[in-house]
Amino acid sequence: MAIETKLSHTAAIILQALQAGYVYGFSVMETTGLPSGTVYPALRRLERDGLIRSSWESQAVADAGQRPPRKYYRITRAGQATLAASQKRYPLLNRLFPVPAQEKA
Amino acid sequence: MMLRGLNLAIIQTAALLVPAAERAEWLAEWRAELWYVNRRATAFCLGSISDAFWMNRNAPDPRAARRFALESPVKCVTFLAALTALSFLLAFGPLGDNLAPPPRDAESQSVALAAAARDSNPPSPADLESSLPNRMAHPSTAGAPKTETPPDGDQDFPLACFSVGLVSLAVLSSVTPLRLGEYPVNRYAPTAPLRLLRWVFLAVKMALVVSMALCSAIAVAPMVPPLAGWVMFLGLFFGFRWALMDQRERCPVCLRLLSNPIRIGDPSQSFLGWYGTELVCSHGHGFLYVPGTSTSWYETQRWQYLDPTW
Repeated sequence: MAIETKLSHTAAIILQALQAGYVYGFSVMETTGLPSGTVYPALRRLERDGLIRSSWESQAVADAGQRPPRKYYRITRAGQATLAASQKRYPLLNRLFPVPAQEKA
Repeated sequence: MMLRGLNLAIIQTAALLVPAAERAEWLAEWRAELWYVNRRATAFCLGSISDAFWMNRNAPDPRAARRFALESPVKCVTFLAALTALSFLLAFGPLGDNLAPPPRDAESQSVALAAAARDSNPPSPADLESSLPNRMAHPSTAGAPKTETPPDGDQDFPLACFSVGLVSLAVLSSVTPLRLGEYPVNRYAPTAPLRLLRWVFLAVKMALVVSMALCSAIAVAPMVPPLAGWVMFLGLFFGFRWALMDQRERCPVCLRLLSNPIRIGDPSQSFLGWYGTELVCSHGHGFLYVPGTSTSWYETQRWQYLDPTW
């Protein structure tokens, strides 16, 4: 039987931020207030554990926005299940972040 | 412009830590993210060093496989026991006989052992070899008549080993803290026999390390006599150090290695908040908080038990 991944508080907050629509590293940093040295390794660990997956946006979209391409992170099914378990444990997690503006999503 | 160059240099330097196969993508992500940073860009870039270290430590390489292999306490003890058995075979078994050079002539050997026996100073690692019992120092002469060995050599051997052990512990205590951390006993803590198991596990590791160092010294003695004492000293020093570090990184309940280290906080903000590393037990027994620097109010690592619903 697979063991359910246990999330630390920090990882749960980062996963919640991704769920709330802050889907690239810097936006997660800005929203959570965590330093870059915490957020990026945490994102890699969550991806390694299969809770999130990453993908690069196309160059055409980035060119249209006159910015470099972003690496987006999205929650997987396993990540949603783990986050749901964390939300039961930390009820305030749901209300932690505002819904991002449309252009951020 | 100069600051931007410095920031890019930080990221480029950190990239050297990232495994080559993943370096290009890692660099592309950090450069892209830097584009959005308006303030404290250098602090942002310094975070790339932590990230690069994470990539380095978690690269899918044989080291990771070894760490995984030692995650379980049973596998850890089995691995140590296998190493000890190998060193025992090197010291006393047929492997040692094949490796050992022809024995020195009995006269010079007797002179060396007699000199060691006469020496009234406390034995140092370098003196250990001269006090090794004849049979142990030269396995291939095991069948030699016992009259060739002065009896004082046998008597000095345990004392020399004990002294080397004490010296290694003294040196160890001067370079690394010996405390294992704070593990509060509360209602979520395991029962006393389970807590005792943790100490039994540490004692078994220590005993295996001592056996391994001793056998290695005995195996080396016939080949490079002056090195025997140093092999034992270094074996005990690094073995004890590893045993303590390994013990600190284990869950006190299931004794498995803790996982998922995450850096929290910032050293520059230590006046107002805690910073350090948080680790979690993959079986949900608790969290370990390791302070970045030892302070009067957070001197050593602390364990937090979680309730059974985890």
